[in-house]
Amino acid sequence: MKQFGWLFFLLSTTLLSVAQEADTVEDYSMYGEAELAGGAKRFCTSKVFDLSPNKLISVGYDFQGGYRGDFGSQGAIPSQSATVQNNYGLRLAANVPVISKTNILLNVGATYWENFYSFSESNLSHPLAQSLNKYGLRTMGLNFTLFKPFNEKKFLIVNGSADLNGNYSFSDFQSFNSTKVSAVAVYGWKKHDRLMYGFGVARTFRVGETNYLPVFLYNYTFPSRKWGVEALLPARAALRRTFSARTLGFFGYELEGNSYLVRNLSNEFPSSFNSVELRRSELRIRFTFEQSIKDFLWLSLQAGLRYNYRFNVDEKEFFRGFGDQAYLFENSLANSLYVNFSINLVSP
Amino acid sequence: MKKAFLSLFILISVNTGLLLAQSESDVLLGVWESGSGKARVKIDKVSDKFFGKIVWLKEPNNEEGKPKVDKNNPEEKLRTAPLLGYRMLKDFSYKGEKTWEDGTIYDPENGSTYSCTIKMTDDNTLEVRGFIGVSLFGRTDVWKRIQLKKK
Repeated sequence: MKQFGWLFFLLSTTLLSVAQEADTVEDYSMYGEAELAGGAKRFCTSKVFDLSPNKLISVGYDFQGGYRGDFGSQGAIPSQSATVQNNYGLRLAANVPVISKTNILLNVGATYWENFYSFSESNLSHPLAQSLNKYGLRTMGLNFTLFKPFNEKKFLIVNGSADLNGNYSFSDFQSFNSTKVSAVAVYGWKKHDRLMYGFGVARTFRVGETNYLPVFLYNYTFPSRKWGVEALLPARAALRRTFSARTLGFFGYELEGNSYLVRNLSNEFPSSFNSVELRRSELRIRFTFEQSIKDFLWLSLQAGLRYNYRFNVDEKEFFRGFGDQAYLFENSLANSLYVNFSINLVSP
Repeated sequence: MKKAFLSLFILISVNTGLLLAQSESDVLLGVWESGSGKARVKIDKVSDKFFGKIVWLKEPNNEEGKPKVDKNNPEEKLRTAPLLGYRMLKDFSYKGEKTWEDGTIYDPENGSTYSCTIKMTDDNTLEVRGFIGVSLFGRTDVWKRIQLKKK
């Protein structure tokens, strides 16, 4: 009979060991008085409340309405005014976190943008207009963003990208020697969960050609949590309206631009210009509406004005700095309206 | 008599095995602070699965000064449930090598539920990876164990 007593005891301990803990009313106040075990250090995070979600994968399409373009003369090449019926092209991007620790975050990404030009005229004489009409422009690049917090308040952000920009196609790729490298570094402070800001410098092509600029990061969410500001000046700034955690609206601008290697692919240019650099920069003033359409899939709709800032051509790539070297072709584009929509897989 | 001893032997073996596996998997139990420091989560075990509920919020009240509720939940009827006590980790099973898988994590900030794995990198650190479909499309948050102060 004693054996059964043992059996009963062992059976009870077995059952007890896997017994579920009953949900009881708990005094949660005890969890406030606590510290990190093992003397671990806390670090600030890379976001403020309600910041727009990070897009892991983005598949988008950009379309600009019609406008007039004036292409400048050079030597024996006369100027020409032409009508661009529209610009259009895919915009694809991927951005994946590869290191995600409390004390360091590293995202790597890739982009592919197209910008094709559809002219009204069939008898284009200007070499740049001919090239744009035939080949358009493409940008393909790799990038990374590093967020390094030092403690609960201070952080460093470093972003770098290497892009191939030009009138290449996949069957006729351009040399990797023409890769354009951009970078930005910001040292900042996270004052609280609704405010982070920082100062830094950037090497950028957003104004079309190589430039070194001071930058100012400012992400702020108002106490009501309905409004916020997301800015990296002078590149972009937006006022954010949070309708809900899954519906956001923005009004702001972005300075977009790059320097493109335009090769003389089918003798549009005289033989003395086998490749030139197109300095393209435009200011996009826009409304953006973003909404989760299903779980992690977000739709982004954008509409606004594309204001041409620069569309000039240099004979080759060089750093102009404060110099006043003349452009090979000085062109101007009238402004136009544009729309952009994308489907995005957003990060947890 | 022989049968009784055999039963006793089997039970002792099973019991010892269970206790060993349990002690290894139970290191997950306790209170943990999320990487953002905004929340603390108490992980409990129910049967052989692990669950985690929010037991502390850095900002427990909403802008009206009332306790925060799960206002972003996709299910309307759950939007009035208080966040404190909310089970945000569900259904984790221990897979050995200090890894718990097959669970989900709920993010009250946006009302989304993600697939999730938990890996303990040392006694006081968890790597909590929420992901969409495949692990590549995810983000790892590092949680630290909390030691309650003795009053």
